[in-house]
Order: sequence, then C-alpha cells, then structure tokens
Amino acid sequence: MNNLKYIFYFTLALLVMSACEKRLELEPAQSISGELATESEANIQNILIGTYSEAGEDDTYGGQLQMMADLLGGGAYIDWVGTFLDPRQVINKAMLSDNNFVGNFWNNSYAAINQANLVLDNLGVVTSDVSEKDRIEGEARFLRALLYFDLIRHFGSGDLGVPLRTTGISDYSIDLGIERAMTSAIYDLIIDDLESAVDLLPEENSFFADKYSAEALLARVHLQLGNFSAAGMAANNVIENSGHVLTPTFAGAFNNDENSTEDVFAFQVTSQDGANDLNNHYADEGNGGRGGDIIVTDAYAALFDEGDERGSFFYASGQSGDRLTSKYIYQFGNIPLIRLAEMYLIRAEASLETGNDVGALPIEDINTIRRRSGAAEVSGEVTKEMILMERVKELGYEGFFIHDVVRTGGSVDGFNADAPELTMPIPQSEMDTNNKIQQNPGY
Amino acid sequence: MKKLFTTLLLFAGIITYAQQTIRGNVVDEDGVALIGATVQVVGTTNGTITDLDGNFSLEVSADAEAIQISYTGYETQEVSLIGAESYDIVLSSASELLDEVIVIGYGSTSKRNLTDNVAKLSSKDIDKVPISNFQSTMSGKAAGVRVTQVNGKVDAGIVVRVRGAASISAGSEPLYVLDGVPLINQNESNNGAPMNPLLSLSPTEIESIDILKDASSAAIYGARGANGVVLITTKRGKIGKAKMSLNMSTGMSTPTNLVEWLNAEQYVELLTEAAENGRAFGGWPDEGFVEGRFDRYSNNTDWQNGVIDTDWNDVAFRTGRQSNVDFSVSGGDEKTIYYLGGAYNDTEGIILGNDLDRFSARTNLRHNFNSRFTAGLNLGYSKTTIDRVANDNAFVTPLQAIAQAPISPARLEDGTPFAGTVYPNFLLEQDFASYITQLRRLTGKGYAEYTILPSLKFNSDFGYDMSYQTEDQFRGSRTPFQSTNGFAYNSNAIQESYVFTNYLSFDKDVAPLHNVNFTLGTEFTQADRSFASVSGTQFPSDDFQTIASAAEITAGNGTETAYNFLSYFARAQYVFDGKYFIKGSIRRDGSSRFGSNRRFGTFPAGSVGWIISQEDFLNNNNTLSFLKLRASYGQLGNSEIGNFPSRFLFQGVSYNQRPGIQPTQPGNNDLTWETSTQLDIGLEFGLFRDRISGEVDYYTKNTEGLLFSVPLPGSSGATSINRNIGILENRGIELLLNTDNINSGGFSWTSSFNMANNVNEILALPNDDADIIFSQNINRVGQPVSAHYLPEYAGVDPENGDALYYINSEEGDPEATTNDIGEANRIVAGNPFPEWTAGLTNTFAYKGVTLSFTFMGEWGASIYNAGGRFQSANGDWFDNQTLDQLDRWQQPGDETMVPQARLGWGNGTGHSTRWLEEADFIRLRNLTLSYDLPSSLMQRVGMNSTQFYLSGINLLTFTDYPGYDPESRADSGNLTTGQAFYSAPAARTISFGVNINF
Repeated sequence: MNNLKYIFYFTLALLVMSACEKRLELEPAQSISGELATESEANIQNILIGTYSEAGEDDTYGGQLQMMADLLGGGAYIDWVGTFLDPRQVINKAMLSDNNFVGNFWNNSYAAINQANLVLDNLGVVTSDVSEKDRIEGEARFLRALLYFDLIRHFGSGDLGVPLRTTGISDYSIDLGIERAMTSAIYDLIIDDLESAVDLLPEENSFFADKYSAEALLARVHLQLGNFSAAGMAANNVIENSGHVLTPTFAGAFNNDENSTEDVFAFQVTSQDGANDLNNHYADEGNGGRGGDIIVTDAYAALFDEGDERGSFFYASGQSGDRLTSKYIYQFGNIPLIRLAEMYLIRAEASLETGNDVGALPIEDINTIRRRSGAAEVSGEVTKEMILMERVKELGYEGFFIHDVVRTGGSVDGFNADAPELTMPIPQSEMDTNNKIQQNPGY
Repeated sequence: MKKLFTTLLLFAGIITYAQQTIRGNVVDEDGVALIGATVQVVGTTNGTITDLDGNFSLEVSADAEAIQISYTGYETQEVSLIGAESYDIVLSSASELLDEVIVIGYGSTSKRNLTDNVAKLSSKDIDKVPISNFQSTMSGKAAGVRVTQVNGKVDAGIVVRVRGAASISAGSEPLYVLDGVPLINQNESNNGAPMNPLLSLSPTEIESIDILKDASSAAIYGARGANGVVLITTKRGKIGKAKMSLNMSTGMSTPTNLVEWLNAEQYVELLTEAAENGRAFGGWPDEGFVEGRFDRYSNNTDWQNGVIDTDWNDVAFRTGRQSNVDFSVSGGDEKTIYYLGGAYNDTEGIILGNDLDRFSARTNLRHNFNSRFTAGLNLGYSKTTIDRVANDNAFVTPLQAIAQAPISPARLEDGTPFAGTVYPNFLLEQDFASYITQLRRLTGKGYAEYTILPSLKFNSDFGYDMSYQTEDQFRGSRTPFQSTNGFAYNSNAIQESYVFTNYLSFDKDVAPLHNVNFTLGTEFTQADRSFASVSGTQFPSDDFQTIASAAEITAGNGTETAYNFLSYFARAQYVFDGKYFIKGSIRRDGSSRFGSNRRFGTFPAGSVGWIISQEDFLNNNNTLSFLKLRASYGQLGNSEIGNFPSRFLFQGVSYNQRPGIQPTQPGNNDLTWETSTQLDIGLEFGLFRDRISGEVDYYTKNTEGLLFSVPLPGSSGATSINRNIGILENRGIELLLNTDNINSGGFSWTSSFNMANNVNEILALPNDDADIIFSQNINRVGQPVSAHYLPEYAGVDPENGDALYYINSEEGDPEATTNDIGEANRIVAGNPFPEWTAGLTNTFAYKGVTLSFTFMGEWGASIYNAGGRFQSANGDWFDNQTLDQLDRWQQPGDETMVPQARLGWGNGTGHSTRWLEEADFIRLRNLTLSYDLPSSLMQRVGMNSTQFYLSGINLLTFTDYPGYDPESRADSGNLTTGQAFYSAPAARTISFGVNINF
C-alpha cells in the first residue's frame, strides 16, 4: 500500500509539472513584435524616428559616407594618414569589393530605406489628423530620396542604377534577389519623393526634415543632374522663404549641439545617441578623434586669401602635428548635411548656367558667402571655375569633392570623371547573396 | 567492575544472543595500510572502518558467515569467517577501471555495464595542473574532446568541442552539469572579448569529470545534449577519520613563443625604401614625409643612429606569477559525510595588466536520517576578480603594441607613456584606465533520496545557480581618444537558474540472470537574466573614478530576458547474465526558445552491448581478458539558439533623445532546435589480464535543421535571418589505449594514449546549397564549417615587385596570375579546425617519485592572421613589420615571396592566403614530477602523507607555425573563425608545490 502512495505522489508531481507548460510562453521584455510595430499611429511615428537614427549611423550620414566622397574626389586637397586600410583603398581609387566602409554604407542605407518604406506602407493607420499623416509621409519620402541619391551617385554606373525598392519588407522568407534598376528610374523616384515632400511637409518641423529641407535637397539633385533652372529655383526658394540665415561667423556653422541658423537639415548627435564619425577620423584625440586620420594638405590651405576665416579654420593635431580641419572638433556636434551656404552657391551656379538671374546675381551670392568669412569681395565676371573654387573653399571636407568632379566632367588624381575607379564596387556580400545583381565595370 | 561487565554483556545479549570479536588488518598490494576501508558483515548493516594502521575489530554474531571489505578504487573483497581471530586482507586495485563508477546523468553505472561512450577524468588528472580554469585541464586527456583557450589572457574564453563542431550558428559548447545542476555558461563580458564564465569554479573542488560523448549517453539531456555533456562531480567526504589536506603551490609564467620584429635600424631602412618606391610608383609621399614621421615617432631623437630601439614584446609581456592555496577537511561516519574546502588562486598573467584572483569555498554534506531517507546539500560559492585588458581589435590592448615602431620610446624619461606612437600607446590605457570584472558565483543543490523499496528510490533535487558579474571601467582624461574628461562604465549582469528535478530509479535482479534498471523523471528549469549598465563622462579630475562623480550620464541600459525548459525523461536498461545489455532512453523537452509552431521535441536513443569475453569460448582466454562490443543510436537537440530567435522584433532606439523603434530581427515561427542524429559503434578490449586495455569507436553525427543566420542581400534592408536549414556531418574514429608497461620491483610505468579523427563536412545548405560567405570564411557543401576562403597568393612578380595572385578561373590556365587581387577568384584554402587530435600521457613511479607528462597534438587546422596586412605587409605603413619582411623584392630578378615595399600603395595587402598558415603542433601540455615522503616517516610525525611536486604547462611546443601560437585565436567578436589578430600566445607555467594530508 505504501508503495502505491509514493506512486500516487509521483504522478501528482508529474501533473504539477504539466501545469508548468503554460510558463513556456515567454515574451521578450525589450522588444515588440513586428505586427504590433505597424499597427498603431504612435508606432509608425516611432519607426520614422528610428529611420533617422538608422540613416544617421556612422556607416552613412554619421560620417563615413561624406568622408569617402571626399577621399575619392579630394585629390591634392586631402590625404589619409590613418592606419585603416578601407579608407586608404578609397583615396587610392583602388577599392576592393570587400571594403567594409563601402559594404556598411550599402547595407545601412538599404536598412534605412526599408524602414522608410515600412512607414509609407502603413500610413493608413495614421488617422489622428491629415496634416500629421502628411508630415510623416513627407519625412519618410525625404529620407528615402536622400538615401537613394547617395546610393545612385556612388554605385550607379551609366544606365546601371541600384536596386529599387519602394515597399517595405517584413517577410524575409521570400526570394530577395533583385536586379539593378535603371539610373533614370532611381532619379525619377528621388524627384517624385522630394517634390511630394515639398508639398506635404510643414514649413517648420523642429530638427526633422521640413519643406525647405526637401526643397534644398531637390536643388542639390537638380544641380547634380544639370537641371540648372530647377536647381536655381529650388535654392532660391530656400534662401528667400525658409527663414534660415548664414551664421555670423564661419565657425558658427560647425560643432553645434543644436542646429545653427543656416542648417537646412542636419543629423543630430548628442552624448547619448547619434554618431559623429567625421569627428572620429578628422579630429585629434583631445577633440575626441583618433588623432587626425585625414589631414588638410598644404595645397588646400594655400587656396585662401589673407583674412579669409576659412583659410585658418585648421589646427595642428595634438598627436601628429598634422594640419586638421576645425569643422569637426566636437565629438557630440550635429552633422550639418545641408547648409544655407550651399544654396547660395547652387543659385549662383544655376544663374550663371541659365543666364537667368534668380533672386540675386551670381557675384552677389559669391560675395555673400565670402563676406561672412571675412574674405575680400570679388568683382568682375563670374566664371564657372570661380564658383566651383568657392565650393571647394566653403564646402571642403563636407562630402562634396567627388560629386563636383563627376558632375562637371573634371578629373582627380589622373582619373577622369567617368573612370570606373571613381564608382564604388557593389559590395561582395551583396554579390554573394543576390543572384540577380550585376557588378560594376572594373571590379 | 565485574558487575559492570556483566551488565554490558547482558545488554549485548539482548541484541544478539551470541557475539564474537574478529580482528584484522587491511593493506593494499604494496602492503600500505588502507585507512577508512569499510568492513561489513555480509547481509547485515553491522560494520566498521579501519583505523590509521589499517586495523579493525568487529563484533559479529556467531552465525555470520563472511565479511565484505570495500575501499574506493579497489576491488571489493568477501572473506569467509573461518573462526580465526585475525584476518590479514590484501585489497587489489580495481581492475583496469572496469568497475569505476561512471556518472551518466540522473544516476551512475559502472564502466563494465556502460553501453555508451563516456570519457572520465578524475581529480588526479585535474589537480596540480597550474592553470586557473578547470576546462584546460581536460586538454589532451580525452579522445575526441578538444579544449582550447582562445588565447593567453587569464580570462580568455574557452572553446570545448566534443566530436567536432555540431553547429554552425548556434552554440557549440557542451552542456556543463555540476552535481546535477546545469551550469550557466553565458559570456557576460562587455569589452568585446569573451570571458570564460566557468572561471568561477576552482579545479581543486572537482572529484571527477565525465564527458558524455555519444547520443545514448547524452540523450537524457535531450534538447541540450547535442554538443555533448560535461558532468562535473565535486568532492565529497568518505566514511572515516577526518582528513585534512593542504595544498600550496607557486609558479612562474612566460609566453610560449614570441615573434621577431624589425629593430630600429631595419625599420628605418625598410620604411625609407618604401617611401622612395612609393614616390616612384605613384608620386606619393613627398620628400621628407617619412623623415618627418620618424622624427615624430622617435620623439625627435636621433633615429638615424638608432638611439631608441624598443622591443615592444618586452613592453607588452611580462613574467607572470601564479599562486594557489587550497585546504579541505572531509570525513564522516555511517550517518553523515562531509566535505569542506576552500581555495585561493592568484594569477598574474603574461600580459601586462591582466590579473586574476579567486576565492572559493565548498560544503558538501550528506546525512542518512534513517535507513530509507537521505538528504544533503552541496553548496559552492566563489568570487573572482579580474583585471582585464582590451579585446584584440583595440589599439589599446597590450598585444597591439608589438607592431609599434621600434624607434618609439615606450615611456619618456619621467616615466609617462610616450603619446606620439604610430597608433595609441597602450601604456596610456595601462596607466590611466582600469577595467575590472568581478564574478560572484553561487551554485547549490539540496536533495533528498527516499528508498521506497531496496530496489526503488525516489530522488528530488532542487538546484540553484547564480552568476552575478559586475564590470567597472574607468578611462582617465589621459587615455587615448579621450575628450570628455574621463569616462566610466558600470555594468551588472545577474543570471539565475533554478532546476527542479524529480525522478524514480529502480534497479533489481528480477530473476536470476535478469537485471532491470530504469529511471523516470521530470525536470523544470527556469533561467532569468537581468542586465543594467550606466556610462558617464565629465569627471572633476582623474581622482574621481566612479559614476557618482560623472557630471554627465551618457548611456544607460536595463534589460531582462528569460527562458525555460519543461522536460520529461525516462531511461531503462536490461542486463542478461551480466553480459548482454540493452538500454533505451527518451526525453521530451519544451522550451520558450522554440517557435510557437514547434514548442516540444522528443529525443530518443538506444544502445546495446555484449561482453564477449564472458562467453564460454573466451572465458579463460589469457590473452584476451576483456572484450565488449557496443553500439548506440539516438537523437539530440541543440537549443543554444538564443532566447527569442524566432520572433520578428522591433526594439527601442533614440534619436536626439526622442524615442523611436527599429526592426532588429526578421521573424520565423518555425524556428526550432537543431537535431543531431548520432551513431556510435565501439569495441572495448583488455589484453594480458587487462595490462593493455582500450577502446575503439566509430561515430557519425549528423546535425539537421541547422540554425543559420542566413545572410540576406543587404539591399533587402536586413543582413541575416535565423533559419533551420542545412545538414552538417561529423564523423570520425577514436582510439583509446591504456597500457601497464612495467610494474615490477617497485617501478611502474603506465601509458594512456588517445587519438581522434574528426571529419567535418557540410552536406546541405539553404537556397539550393548556395555558398554562405562571410568575411574570409565560407560554408560550402562538401567542405568543413567556416572554411578559409581567400584569393590565393602567388608570390611576387620578379620583374616589378608586384604582389601576384592566382586567377583560379574555372576555365583558364590554373597557373595564370594577376597583380589585381579583384581579378583573383577566392578558393577554399583551409580548415579552421584540426582533423586529427591526439594525447599521450606517461606515468612513471618509483618509491614515492612519480613523473607524469602529457603530450598533445593537433593536425589539419589553418589559422588566418588577419593582422598580417598590417604587420607583415612589406612596409605598407608605419606599423612595425615582422622580421621576415626584410626579404622584400628590391630589384628586377629578385625571387621572393615578399613584394616590393611601397608606402601607402597597398602592394599585396588585400586579404589573401599570404597570411594563411598551417597550425599543426605537438605540445608538452603538462608535466608533473612529485615526491612523496616515506609514509613511515610521515606517520611518525602524525601526518598521512606529504608530497612535493613540480608541475608545468605548455613546456615545449613543436610547430612550424610562424605566428605567436598555434592555439591562439582572435577574441574580438567581429573577427571570424580561425583567425588570429594580435592574439596573445598561451602561457608556459612552471609551478612548485607541496601537498600535505593530516
């Protein structure tokens, strides 16, 4: 009998254990399910903010993208003296397809594009207010256009564009191979997104993209495509109506905790979030960098006239003694992506090219820029070369070098604008996983 | 007096009507008295134990027929009572381990009855090895069990592979079970390099380690058994007088090997030449550039004449030191046995700034309340404090200093670290920063055992394991890359798990010749982890080093996660006539880790055995004294797939301090455990009365439903997804041979040899067997896991000094080369894991002197030195170069493998087989020479034994590997399998100690 009792207890124990089965249902504490994430208006707004954060990572607008554009196109104005091999491949115009900086830029940009697409796909749940829905749509389109614009400029080769995705992916069990779209298809999307964003976005939108951020980017896109008239009109509209003004000093435009008056759009960095990889590679250690991986060459420093604040906006690295730019001496400074100064230079160039002086004469726009930095004003005939040189001086080390070389048909370090070496290779990781992708010529 | 005696006699008479006293003496084969041997009247509970001289006396009833004498490690002997007053009994040591107790999970069995493949190590294999982690003591001792410490840091992670890697993406570490409690073995390091979580366990606490290698043995652990199971049994008391043991040792460590680098003169010569060549090649650098750099790196000293010539090896490495003290008291009587032990280990690593110290204590108690009910408590706790250095991929880790320019001083004259080195001087971190990890560990088990029938027992165990790890980092204002007036980071990681196990076990000879035993039980495991961290900057001065003084808190984190398992298990064995065995087991596991569609899994296994030598035709064979054939087959799971790997998840992010969310992981509801199906066929044999004994096993281990972090095209917005796809096979043979070579005239020589071959091959992959390529590794069908995948280096063009690579196109000339690495196709260039491993232990003993040493070796692995493109790159940049780079191409016609030096132009610096090296080696893993003072002398001074010993680890290494160490690998997470990257060599330690038993 006694034994039966124990068997009874044991059976009871088994039953108690069975009751534990419901404890197998555990929910993660730090995350929410994908279904929940796209169900509510609040979460769509959250994904939108997540998209800014994604795009602002160091792989892309956190700095590596701008840095690569300058290393590729800076020629005599820039030198890489750091130990990293990947940026050295970039400055040598000898990028390998397994270059990590290139691969990370690609992956990060498409991750951000997918998030922007998820926002756009689920706008239906934003029901509180039409203007709220418009704002969210406008911001998502702005970010998507921004990302595609940099992808197409770096990876596009002739008609061969980049993979075009306009809907978000949440089911990754499908075949994800995708061909490269035509370059023109990418630009059509960019322009459509930006024109819509200009319509949808409010005039003021804190540090997020507003109507004028979209219009300014549109100006930049049209300039790249040689649509000077459209570029000039857009730039003029930003100058005339956005309310942005140049900072009183050149230095005031950089190393800011909060956007300066001339920041038409900037990626946000604080000590707690965001990334500033420009600081990492351009600054010395005392300023939060690695000591100065990228140096300002004598050739660049020699461009400036006496009294031009931009010609002394340098310092000697505390580690190496090399000349470094002062544009990135604050580790937690915002990253200006579109400054009003660029709009003046776009307007000047556009006016010169079209012969229609929109808003101001090119000479006035150039002198507006020069005056702010204490450079002597210029007079006489404005030439394309003058404007391009002014861009070098004003916008140096902000990610413009290669794009100006390519769009003007120039050359750098003996490589012509159309040299395949100036286009990035499709990353090896993409080549290895995407059976429909085609590599760029020369790789 | 007489009255008292009568009374006593009467009293005794009440219990037994007729008594007699027998006396005796118990010794071993060498005539040494056995203290604490159990002497028991057969068929009764009447018994005693032998005293210090091996003597006993026992009152026995007149009808007692025989006594039984037993002692651990010796054959139990029955002696008929023939009426003599005194019995001289000689116990012989247990014959060739056949009756050795093997722990098998929820029970134990004897080696003879075992139909599984289990490797056993005992404390004598473990103690005295001068190393602070217990896993390394297993190295070279068990066939098919490969133990590697990632590199020579004292806290470095440990990689244990039982019969090869059974997984690609999921965990491949075995399950560790300490006295029945599955141990938490999750790395909680936050500095980028994994730390060994089981460092908390002192090797001195361990009595034995049983490694369950095949399906039949490990299946009782179901979804957690696929990588093998390591069962650790801690020491317990033995019935007898209290035994006190004190062990002290101290030793010294040095790196096993150092690589040679250019000296100052050679460095200046190579770099000057590189600059000239660079200028000629591409117009860069300008004249004077290199000289300016030399001035800076040499702190403006006369580098032309080599005024400073720093050997950075001497700066990064030091002579380490190691001290151990452990003390234990153990003993007991028929009612209660106890073991109390404490240990202290203090290790200064061979790398500057890398130290460890550990206190640990253990109490194991067991009490018989009555003949049916026994309960006990095992409790161990420890605190380990580690001074850590940065991971291998950080400039400020000491090992990266090895490639600093030799013309740079390490320190200035006033002792402060020189800050103008090519890349940051790690001494700035060493002097002005600290990273201290403290690990507290509490592992305990309360248990009760109730004997329902002599053959039926019920066990209830409640186990608890807690690991509490804190990390405190401070980086002062003078450390490299520091611009925020100091930085501090604190983290707390608490992991707890409890396991509640209940099982019945039955063991009975149900009829003559028929034995049946079974185990039936349930188990519930719940594990939680909670993590919090905070970072702060802006300190008033470097004197303030805790977060409390940080003016700005820059980051904080708080996370919780959990998993649980609910399991039912059963095992049954039937033995006929002590020679035919059949066994089956099954476990059903459910876990929160598995996708909602696949929550429960069942894992069955079976085995059979036949002791052929007990058959009549072999029974009296003098040559073949033992022969057993066994086979097992079963399925196991691997649930080390993370806690919520199946879910499509978004997590919170912050942008300019506004909250947002981002997708972190694509989901897959069908995700589940990996299933590994294993077959093992083994033959155990003994020859010449077991003087030669051994085992040969053949196994296959097929893992299906491999968990893959399948790479996705980045253009989809995600770079990987978890999927159960693919098949991986490990197959191999294992040989174990124990020989008793000489045993005469007080001299003995025994050997133990093990050898294993493991062939690791991927049989199927996702997307129609498409290659999975990640960094410099590939998973390809027909190849081993994570094979090296690189362009093939072809040497140097004798005409112009360009690095050349084989094009390796499928059609084309196989000898065709190119100087454009982008044009060269990658090839599968090597296996990151060894194919053959072997270990040989020899033990010589003569009159108290014992010499024991273990050689072990590995063959077939290759290591890719990912640091090669910086440090062996023909002067491509200012990093110092290994000495072999002097052999660079200099003029047309030079035949060499080192390309022309061209500063900054990347001549031959792309990832290629140029830095892939074979890592075959044979190593004298450890050696112990001990001397026991004569026992006669010891007994005179009231001690049991005193032993002096000299013990060493990694004393000799035979290898052609040109890097630091053929066993060291990179510890930084973003470097992939089989790569070295400024990785520290293992330590060579020699230690002297004394072991005293009272």
